[in-house]
Formats: sequence, structure tokens, C-alpha cells
Amino acid sequence: MNFNATSGARYPAQKGSRKKRVSDTAAINAPAYPPAYPPSYPPPYNPFASAVPGTVPPNMSAYDDRNAVPPPYASSPDYSHMHANAPPMDQGYSIPGQFLNEPLVANVAMQYGQALVGSGRQLVDRELEKYIPVSRLKYYFAVDTRYVLKKLGLLFFPFVHSDWSVKYEQDGPVQPRYEINAPDLYIPTMAYVTYVLVAGVILGMQDRFTPEILGIQASSALAWTIFEIAVELITLYITNIQTNLKTLDLLAFGGYKYVGIIFALLLSILFHKTGYYAGLIYSSFSLAFFLIRTLKVQVLPDGSSPHHNDPYTHSSGNKRRMYLLLFVAGIQPLLMWWLSFHLISPPTPKS
Amino acid sequence: MALTLWSLYEVVLLCLNAVCILHEERFLAKIGWSSNQNIQGFGEQPSVKSQVLNLVRSIRTVMRSKYVNIVCL
Repeated sequence: MNFNATSGARYPAQKGSRKKRVSDTAAINAPAYPPAYPPSYPPPYNPFASAVPGTVPPNMSAYDDRNAVPPPYASSPDYSHMHANAPPMDQGYSIPGQFLNEPLVANVAMQYGQALVGSGRQLVDRELEKYIPVSRLKYYFAVDTRYVLKKLGLLFFPFVHSDWSVKYEQDGPVQPRYEINAPDLYIPTMAYVTYVLVAGVILGMQDRFTPEILGIQASSALAWTIFEIAVELITLYITNIQTNLKTLDLLAFGGYKYVGIIFALLLSILFHKTGYYAGLIYSSFSLAFFLIRTLKVQVLPDGSSPHHNDPYTHSSGNKRRMYLLLFVAGIQPLLMWWLSFHLISPPTPKS
Repeated sequence: MALTLWSLYEVVLLCLNAVCILHEERFLAKIGWSSNQNIQGFGEQPSVKSQVLNLVRSIRTVMRSKYVNIVCL
């Protein structure tokens, strides 16, 4: 294969013939070669038949050769036991391709193929749901531009925001699109990828770049995030704190620090060490404030619950929750520094 | 600096192994951390010590069950 960019311009005939082949298979009325299943009606269950009758699966070549082009008049006796509303057979179909040109058979074949594909897809979705909660993940990515901008502003300046509570629907929290205080996974994912790219750019500016370090940075940051979430989950279990926080919420809150890291790294490009530490201190302070305020709503019991209704939360429970909040908020600056201090450029120029 | 996914896996494996081979009678009873000595009221919150011991005991039980084949390399 030619990976050069100009190869398409150098061989225009090749490109044109490729285009012509795609349009050929898209047109069902004139297939270039006969389909994969035998000419009986209704067609038997063939797991290798695709929904578009014009294409042939590549591993069916042996099967194709047997009934690809049957003898012209040997196939006509097979049509004698056809259904009553089948098209008249006295026109002498030579290849099954023309048989499919009849709209009735084409419709039935298309619907059958699409039903197979639909049921297969449902099965795959059900099996995947057991291992990765896809429907739960979709909640965290239901964001829009307004939410992202406001959330980024909140991450950098949470001091004037007053209402930190999360509105709930009947079965769960409201989507992040409609509720600014709900956690999402879009910003952490994007910030993580941007962090890896910015690290590559910074190392490239210092002539320290190799392609392997991108993978090293990505897997190292991912390993630290997994480690942090595991420590938080074990702490939640041991201290027996009742909260509504799920694992994906913890993943979201752990991923917000990458925004701060990117901010500090960008400052380090301009102002070297002082810029880096100034950006780091400010973003870690604002992130700690943001996390404490957000988690206080989710972890600490609010003051509106009456005391006699709640014998399980006494003073030691509150102390544990406060320690957990401080731990979560305090580990963020530490990890932010650990993940980025090796990237800052030295102030002295290389000689 | 580079904490790779492989080293994380090694850490998890070694910690699980350490929890599995920790013998209750020989070590924990000496310190007073054995599992059947807890006096815990029903309505109270379980203490940190009892939760840790429950965690250790449940990890040991799961690791020694038939599901250990999944973890073996």
C-alpha cells in the first residue's frame, strides 16, 4: 500500500475505478456477481449472508463456487414448488441475481437480513452491558457546550458559586446538561488526552521527545488515577460512610485535576518555574475548594434531617466524613505536582 | 516516576498475596485482631478495625474459593 499523500494524484485511474466499484455494489439492481445464498424461497438461515445481497463475504468463496453460476435450465425445476405469490417463472432466469431483481423477493431478503443484524446487535449489547455499564456511562457524557464552559469556569473560580446541591429525578441525578453541579466524564477525558498531548509538546520544545514517552505518560497518569480511585473506594468501605457516590463519580472527580495540570503546564511554557508553581498553587487551591464544596453535599449529611430519625450518624461519622473530604481534596495537589513536575523546562537555555 | 499499569498490577497482586498468606491464629490473635473476638452492638456503626478485619477475611475467603482460577496467570 502506498502511504504517500500524493499517491492518489499520481494514479487517477486507480482512484476512479475504486469509486466505480463502490457505486456498483450499492446498486442492488445490477450486482456484479451472484449473492451468497442458494436460490430457494424462502432463503434458508445462512449466517454468512449479509444484508446487502450484492456483496459476498470473503470466507464464503468455496461455498460460492458451488452454486455461484448454476446451469441455466437446471434451476428452473427448483422453482416449481414456489409460493403462490411468487413471480412467474416462465421467464427463464439464468442466474439467481436476476431472481433477486423482483421487488418482492428483494424486500423479504432485505428485511430478513436486517432482522438478523438487529437481533445480533441486541445480543452483543446485552452481553457488553454486564461488563461495562454502557447506559450508566451515557449519563456522564450527556453534556453540552454551555455546561462545559460553566464547569471550566467553576473549576478555576469556585469562590462565588453559592448553590452546590444537585437536583434529582425519580431514579437518579439529573443529567449534567441541565445541572451544573453534577459530575461528568467528558471534561476529565478530554483533559486527560490534552494533558498527554501538552506533555508531548513541552518535551518536544526541550528536545526530549521520543514517540514512546506519549504512551509512558498516558499509562502512568492512568495508573495513578486507578490507584487513587482504588484507595478512595477502600477508604469508603473501611470507614463505612453512607454516600450516593458511585465509582464513576469518583473517576470524574479524580479527572478534574488534569485541567489544573494543563493550566500549570501552559504557564510553565511562558514563565518557566515561577509560572509553573504559581499556576499549580492557584489551580490546586481552587480545585480543592471546588471538591470540598461539591463532596460536602454528597458525603456529609445536610442539617435538615432530624436527629431522632438518624441514630447511625453520630459525631464520629461526621469526623470520618470530614477526614475523607480532606484526604480527597489534599491528594489532588500532590498528584498534580507528581504528574507534571518532570515536564517543566529549565530556565537556563541549552548551550 | 513512571508508575506503569504493569507495576500497578504487580502491586495489587503482591498485596493480595500478602493478605492471603497471613495466618490468623499465629499472628492476628497475638495482637488481638482475630475475627471472632469483636463485641459489636447491632445498632452501632462498625469500627474501623472490624471493617479492616472483615475486608481481610473476605479477601482470603474469595481467594481460596474456586474463583481463584480466574486470578491465576
